[in-house]
Amino acid sequence: MNVSRRKKSIIQAVSILSITTLLFGCSNPNEGADNTKDKDTLTLAWPRDIGEMNPHVYNPSQLFAQSMVYEPLVHYAEGGKLEPFLAKSWDISKDGKTYTFKLRDDVKFSDGSTFDATIVKKNFDAVLKNKALHSWLGFISKIDKTEAVDKQTFRMTLSEAYYPTIQELAVVRPVRFLGEAGFPKNGDTSKGVEEEVGTGPWVLDEYKADQYATFKVNKNYWGPKPKVKKIKIDIIPDAESRVLAFEKGDIDLIFGEGAISVDAYNQLKETKSYKTTMSEPVATRLLIMNTKKKQLADERVRQALQYGFDKKTLVEGITSGLEAPADFILPPNLPYTSNLNVEKRDFDVDKAKALLDEAGWKLPNGKKIREKDGQPLQIEMMYDAAELVQKAMAETLQSEWGNIGVDLKIVGVELPDQVQRFKDNKFDINMYSNFGAPYDPHTFVNIIGTDGFGFKEAISAYPNKDQLLQEMKDVLKTTDETKRQKMYAEILPSLQDQGALVPISYLKKMAIYQNGVTNFKFAANRDESPFAQIGIK
Amino acid sequence: MNVPLERPRLLDRLSNQRLILIGCSAFLGLLFLTALAAPWLAPHDPFLVNLAVKLQEPSWTYPLGTDPLGRCTLSRLLYGARVSLGFAVLIFASSLLIGLLIGTLAGYIGGWVDQLLMRFCDGVMAFPSLILVLGLVGIFGPGLKQVIIALMLVQWVYYARMFRGLVMTLKEKNFIAAARVNGSSHWKIFRTHLLPNILPPLLVIGTLEMGWAIMDISAMSFLGLGVQSPAAEWGAMIHEGKSYIRTNPELMIYPGVMIMLVIASFNLLGESLSERFGVTKPPK
Repeated sequence: MNVSRRKKSIIQAVSILSITTLLFGCSNPNEGADNTKDKDTLTLAWPRDIGEMNPHVYNPSQLFAQSMVYEPLVHYAEGGKLEPFLAKSWDISKDGKTYTFKLRDDVKFSDGSTFDATIVKKNFDAVLKNKALHSWLGFISKIDKTEAVDKQTFRMTLSEAYYPTIQELAVVRPVRFLGEAGFPKNGDTSKGVEEEVGTGPWVLDEYKADQYATFKVNKNYWGPKPKVKKIKIDIIPDAESRVLAFEKGDIDLIFGEGAISVDAYNQLKETKSYKTTMSEPVATRLLIMNTKKKQLADERVRQALQYGFDKKTLVEGITSGLEAPADFILPPNLPYTSNLNVEKRDFDVDKAKALLDEAGWKLPNGKKIREKDGQPLQIEMMYDAAELVQKAMAETLQSEWGNIGVDLKIVGVELPDQVQRFKDNKFDINMYSNFGAPYDPHTFVNIIGTDGFGFKEAISAYPNKDQLLQEMKDVLKTTDETKRQKMYAEILPSLQDQGALVPISYLKKMAIYQNGVTNFKFAANRDESPFAQIGIK
Repeated sequence: MNVPLERPRLLDRLSNQRLILIGCSAFLGLLFLTALAAPWLAPHDPFLVNLAVKLQEPSWTYPLGTDPLGRCTLSRLLYGARVSLGFAVLIFASSLLIGLLIGTLAGYIGGWVDQLLMRFCDGVMAFPSLILVLGLVGIFGPGLKQVIIALMLVQWVYYARMFRGLVMTLKEKNFIAAARVNGSSHWKIFRTHLLPNILPPLLVIGTLEMGWAIMDISAMSFLGLGVQSPAAEWGAMIHEGKSYIRTNPELMIYPGVMIMLVIASFNLLGESLSERFGVTKPPK
């Protein structure tokens, strides 16, 4: 058996040393099969499977794919403008409780059935069957009644005024509309849909889990027809493989947050053979500290951690200047988020050390990690393992906080696990982000004030927690614009100053595409697909 | 497979057996010394992140350049040698000890004890060892400690099998029978008659097995299951460099070359030792 042993050794040696060479070979499993050079098909690479095409569920369904098939009543446009979409117009009663929508009369689902008030009501009722699941979206839990007044009129009555309702109707899930044929017999869509019937410009055509999905044009689409006939989504989990497939020409477009490494992006940009573009800031990278944990309950420790790292160098070094260091927890290009009076905490190692000393975490002689009552200052931070920038940032923080005597353990997890652990309050620090447009600031504030989504539990040691939570409830009820501005100017700085939410940088989406791709434009809504009018020359 | 266990052709072509022996031993010896002296030899703190100098070209300050977080690649390679070599020795020594104990026990006592132990070994050996290690690490959770325990738990069966075979053959030899008749205790027979005869094959297997252990640790770290950040380890360094294969391939090449050199040296050394002692290599 000596020979087989030796053989095995060769096999293993080859596999570890040249596993990277394999990356070259696995760019596209269906390579050469059909349509990569096809002018009518746009091929893009995406890191994970698109999941179930059901408008009323969350992860692992991919937002951009859901937004291709299903459409909202209201469209979130640039700068936070809310435009009519499936709803032509709407009326809000004086008390802010009754919303009456006039629906478009020319909309058909992809199977030819009509989009009217009855189906809108049916969708709302399906969503309301799982109120708890959707309560992060503030207006959902306040819906008292839904009515189809006539064919083209849908009315919704809330139990109390909730200002951001219209804005929340623009989100990708769960308030988008499934056609009649898609509903299971019991009307509960949370367990799955029968058929993926939507009003959107695209219809799911072929789907092979973890391999690819193709979408074709919806023949019954009411709006401007897409310029390409097909969109093919190749699932390529590894970032480098995506780039290689792109360079080979198999892929027309890669886009997303951290879709490829910053260095690869810059390198592709420098070749000038491809087009590259970055979006406006869509969200803020945040560190969320869990104040329920003993070490982090003390505000001084949270402050020390903020003083303890050089944000400017961290952000510029890791993102090569593609992202800007963040001063606020919400990107300032969104409504109500700029000109806030927050305390700046710039890099200051001495101050960080002094704060930790003051908090009782002292450095024992000859040791590198601070201790208090014999317990070392150990903190665990989780990050999305699939995102390269997060990993680099986590490693940098590990090193920088090591200098002030903090032992940071970093754990890379899959995104759904990260969300779940955050909800379950099983974390010390979560490297996360706020939700971006169209969720900021209203839905964000609502989520912070709602049990079970992670944020409320994370800030539970704030001394002014009760008052803050009350203010967050009130701001969403107020119908007075000046008052609302004033309240946000109090809430947001208070959240930030006490240090459970630490802004790192303003997150941007990146896109690289072949020269032949035309009309690529990021959607204003962070979660929406950018291929409304995309074409290929 | 009935391929005769002759010496490999590669070695035939190298005229001087001794040269290999000396060359490989010298290289490995030097490497061990370097690993031990890493804290004094490394030009920088291998864990110090300095984004201002990320992805630097080789220079006098950074002889092999820096990684994407601005850490000195040479320092990380040196510290990586500590992890790779150090834990390879640990895995080798511990699985050897278990294997030696159980193997000699089974071989010497024989009977149902032998049956029981060997059937268990058969069970473990029925799985590809890497899969088994992966499974165990999956149960224990990722981390260097867990990987080492998993490797230990899997590796010892191969030693046990081999020592059992050796002991079974030796047991029948006349000098053992003579010692028995002489009234020597079991322990004495083991110590003075069995062990010295087991040592040469042990040396051969040891050197070959070291290469294995290094490969396994690196493989696990490459998969993200072994050492965790910020620790430096060759397999983990390849993994870290993977994202930069297009812009900075040297980040993968340096640790890759180190792994290759070390394993090649161990294997060549093992081959030439087996030649020298006339030992056939272990059944695995």
